Amino acid sequence: MRHVYRFVGFRGLPATLLKFAFLAIIDIVGGIAASSAFTGNSVILGVALVIALAFINYSYIFRAPTPVKFMAPGIVFLIAFVVVPILYTVVMSGFKFQTGNIITKQDAITQVLARSVKADPSGTAYDITLGHYQGQLAALMRNQTDHTVSLATQQTITPLAAGSYTTDSNGVPNKTAGFTPLTPDEVANLGDAVQQLRFPDGHGKYVAPQYGSLAVLVSQDLSYDPKTDTIKSASTGVTYVDGGQGNFVNPKNPSTDFLTPGWRTPNFPQNFVGLVTNPELRDPFIQVFIWTVMFALLSVLTTFIVGLGLALAMDKKIRGRAFYRSILILPYAIPSFMSILVWRGMFNTDFGIINRILMNFHLISQNIDFFNSSTDSKAIVILVNLWLGFPYMYLISSGALQAIPSELKEAASIDGASAWQSLRQITLPLLLQILSPLLISSFAFNFNNFNIIYLLTGGGPRDALAGQRAGGTDILISYAYQTAISQPNARDYGLASAISMFMFVIVAGLSLWSIRRSKALEEF
Amino acid sequence: MREFRRNLWRHAYAWVLIVFTIFPIWIVFTSAFETTGTLVTTSIFPTKAGWDNFTLLFHSSSIPFGAWIRNTIIIASLNAIISVLIGAAAAYAFSRLKFKGRRIGIQALLLIQVFPTFLALAAIYVIMGEVYKVFPAFGLGSLGGLLLVYLGGSMGINAWLLKGFIDTIPAELDESARVDGASPMQVYWLIFFPLSAPVLAVVALLSFIGTFNEFIMASVFLTDPQSRTIAVGLQQFVGGQFNQNWGPFAAGSLLASIPLVILFLSLQKFIVGGLTAGSVKG
Repeated sequence: MRHVYRFVGFRGLPATLLKFAFLAIIDIVGGIAASSAFTGNSVILGVALVIALAFINYSYIFRAPTPVKFMAPGIVFLIAFVVVPILYTVVMSGFKFQTGNIITKQDAITQVLARSVKADPSGTAYDITLGHYQGQLAALMRNQTDHTVSLATQQTITPLAAGSYTTDSNGVPNKTAGFTPLTPDEVANLGDAVQQLRFPDGHGKYVAPQYGSLAVLVSQDLSYDPKTDTIKSASTGVTYVDGGQGNFVNPKNPSTDFLTPGWRTPNFPQNFVGLVTNPELRDPFIQVFIWTVMFALLSVLTTFIVGLGLALAMDKKIRGRAFYRSILILPYAIPSFMSILVWRGMFNTDFGIINRILMNFHLISQNIDFFNSSTDSKAIVILVNLWLGFPYMYLISSGALQAIPSELKEAASIDGASAWQSLRQITLPLLLQILSPLLISSFAFNFNNFNIIYLLTGGGPRDALAGQRAGGTDILISYAYQTAISQPNARDYGLASAISMFMFVIVAGLSLWSIRRSKALEEF
Repeated sequence: MREFRRNLWRHAYAWVLIVFTIFPIWIVFTSAFETTGTLVTTSIFPTKAGWDNFTLLFHSSSIPFGAWIRNTIIIASLNAIISVLIGAAAAYAFSRLKFKGRRIGIQALLLIQVFPTFLALAAIYVIMGEVYKVFPAFGLGSLGGLLLVYLGGSMGINAWLLKGFIDTIPAELDESARVDGASPMQVYWLIFFPLSAPVLAVVALLSFIGTFNEFIMASVFLTDPQSRTIAVGLQQFVGGQFNQNWGPFAAGSLLASIPLVILFLSLQKFIVGGLTAGSVKG
């Protein structure tokens, strides 16, 4: 019997072959992906892929400890899509990383310079032939207006006398002494480099090719000096310096005179300090924080009271209990995003059923604009969350009620306690003790309950005219979303990450506390 | 009758809640079958019933409902299967194998489980934007990228859920197999896996329901109408035109909810068991 497993299932050569076939597929696919990441200039992505592949290969080819074999795929995903994003959030929270400061400094310089290029007011254009002159790219060109012909190099532009060049059938010059024209294929191979070419005319202007056969006269106001890391404006004479905040700034007037776009740059702890000191950020943040706590508390309280009440009511075998139960569990079974959207439709100002019922019973004379009032919106959020949440509280409460030994209640009633006394002094305290970890995690869940806020009110009412980021019902998570993503023209990843960090700390603290209380880890 | 009177408050309480519970569900029913299909005509009882809204769902170019169903089923099934395989293996290791760092590992998993992935939303958005530049099929805007993000959280959730179950399988079973010369991998695939297949199926179904319900990640990822899931598709559809699109929205909600409610009610026993183990529906 001892070695029966040598012959059972997959073992020996076929198993080894299958394993290597699997690994080979993963390695080939991953290897191709990694190499295309490297060629696509995404070094970090490539390195990450290589590390993941190395780890997988180590786990299954070499004699890795058995637990590693079991957990390798899970660990790879966990690190890539949970741990790394969390760490990246921490890094981003120390960065100025927002609309206008998204790209790297190198890209920012390129764009700043490109933006300062303007076509010359004269509108001068040239027909050109690109070629090599003294080993450098150069152009023979004919002014479209006055038909003068010149040789343009990257140092200077020299007029050519008639007869010192030859032209093609269109009259465009294509040959002169020392100039070798490019073939059309060679021009095509240059690609975007054509547009990067600049032929200075010696008077602060440039002839810039637009494509292989046409160039225009442009002026470029700004120029970058890599030695001093400054950008100089030819027209105003101002020298812009790196202001340390992700932009080139005029040192005399750094807050208003700066060049765009900027670049992302470390600014720790500005995002955190701003949340505390800058009134424009602090006031909405405090308002949102208070409502987040209130919302989570009220949600837990209302759902728990209603759910517990139901559990107590159903704690006796009354007629129709199975029927009641199957109906009352429905809100928990229906996909919540749908029920939230349905509620939103029912509270619609002009067409919602609630306004129409109120109207039909003459309780109101005109439709109520529920979602435009902060108070109404908050009440609706709590009401809808009650609808969504009470079945859960009912289920856990009735589970806990069954866990309380009936001897306790019997003993109390023998000692002469009324039903109310026994409920208050025996059942409830025990129930709370059993359920407190679940209530805490329910609080943590609602603390981050993005769905209900986003789908029901969108965080609103939001006074867009007043430029407010935080709406009347925004909780921290929807506020972070609003800050980070939802407005394409005012994204602030750095600030959003700082808010996320804040939530990390609160949720982690709550969870640790809840784990301690539930002693879930005692068994380990 | 005296019995009934003594329990009157129980019945009354239940009926108040039933009215509250049924109200929106009833409105969805009537709206779905109301033929004119706007919010204006929504009433307590449908004035003219028909299937117009349902036919519209499958024949209108602005509502690729069929594509949404397909996307949802693909991503929810793949996520369910892969994440259960990953979770079961990890849970087995944590439950049965003795190794250094096991305690730390399971505690770390538990903590990670309570961190919703979307707390790092901005980071994921930026990272997957980078991935998109090199691999469009797995970056921002793709179902593939969304699946990867879902899988990231799978080990935390499922390993924790499954470990409790594995702990209840008698250790003698695998010990006797080990005595007979089985490697840990063989014990896992030949003994544990067949034994726990039903439980794994239930966890996979729960994971399916969870993915079906997931909204925030999907809405950040899926911007192209054709690639949306039902949740994102219906939200974008009705959110744009609440009055105009109400009828088809109600019909779509009804269609999508029914299989899910049936699934949920039939798994009720396991879900309630899982609740008290400390998981929260999300």
